[in-house]
Amino acid sequence: MTYFGARTRQLREHLRQNDRRYSLRQVAHRVGVEPAYLSKIERGVAAPPSEATTVRLARELGEDPDVFLAMAGKVSSELQAIIRKRPKLFADLIRRLRDAPDEAIFRVVRVVRDGEW
Amino acid sequence: MASGNGTGDTMISIERDGLAFRFPNVHRDAACRIEFQRTLRIPDDGRTYPLPPGLGRFPLRHFDDFAERLPEDSVRRGGVVMPMHQAEAVWISFLGGLGSNPYPCAIKIATGKVCAVGGEPWEEGLTRDPQNYLVVPGQPWLDGYCVEKGTIRQFVAMPLGEGYSAEEQLTGEAWHGGLQLAVYPMRRNVYEELPKPRLGSRVREVLELFPSDLMGVAPGGRMAQQIYRDAFGLDAWDQQRGARSFVTLANSRQWMAITGERPPTKPPTAHEYAKAELPWFLFYDRDREEVDGAERLGALRTVAGTENGLA
Repeated sequence: MTYFGARTRQLREHLRQNDRRYSLRQVAHRVGVEPAYLSKIERGVAAPPSEATTVRLARELGEDPDVFLAMAGKVSSELQAIIRKRPKLFADLIRRLRDAPDEAIFRVVRVVRDGEW
Repeated sequence: MASGNGTGDTMISIERDGLAFRFPNVHRDAACRIEFQRTLRIPDDGRTYPLPPGLGRFPLRHFDDFAERLPEDSVRRGGVVMPMHQAEAVWISFLGGLGSNPYPCAIKIATGKVCAVGGEPWEEGLTRDPQNYLVVPGQPWLDGYCVEKGTIRQFVAMPLGEGYSAEEQLTGEAWHGGLQLAVYPMRRNVYEELPKPRLGSRVREVLELFPSDLMGVAPGGRMAQQIYRDAFGLDAWDQQRGARSFVTLANSRQWMAITGERPPTKPPTAHEYAKAELPWFLFYDRDREEVDGAERLGALRTVAGTENGLA
């Protein structure tokens, strides 16, 4: 069983405890795949699905799409496009931040300024 | 609030048209996400309606990016700006934690600096009686003003200065408008003593269907929605490390003028939606205690009531 498959099943089964809409069949229907295929993904028999399906699955199960894509061994095409636009700059930035603590990375992100109100 | 956004104690950023609040100095998982969902305006006819669907997120932009085109008074508030059509409705979606580990947070929501849960004027910090905040995970969304137990009145954007907004009705002034948010993470020691992380159940479908007149928020139609009482108590929340933001609402004309972007199209009416036989939603957790509605909010005139009064 792959970690992606195991995590998908864990999240779905957890949600199903309180809501029958999270049965294998209904989740497969909502994300647009056959139940048998979703079952194979969960058991690790099939490789993780396409990027679009992985993102739909993440949203369906309340998981962060980027985290889910990473578990599937993928990087979103949106992020790839950002890197391709300025490959040297972003490759350098990512390498420099590789071992930085989370707080240091957050400081690089633009924050919403709070003012007087 | 002890420190400004982005000091290391707290950080708010715009991510995928949502506000991500992080508190890295409290705990690596201490975070939450708040989104503003476009939705149908339910009829303001006294009947109580189920939850309408989400029609996708409202876009958010840094207010500072358009500072030169905006009045100095409003720029001083900072925060973000979001477009809403007149009489358009919004619901606010909450996710405690940003990754796979839910992290409890207390969230205050106000419109025009009037608390949408307790009905009192905005003050820093949390109060228990009346409870002026929501707790996530557990409270997955808020659609309007908590007017009585189990019932809210929908958030509807209306022009500021015409007497519709909760702010104008309760304070007599049309000064702040918009929405105000503050988030307080659970104290680290309280979080670490909690039983294993609980995943929230979010059963409300979000349909991604569609690709100066600053606005205030006024009460619209009645909707069945529980606002849950805090089961942890005030001491559970780290009020020294909160973060807050002002959300300015711009009508479609002003949004185009300041950002150069087209606003989202108008959502369908509730009648058009029902005619297409699309689903409405119910979310009910009978095991959890609810807060009473705020009398101050229950006494407000609705948009339809104000229109009739002006006619």
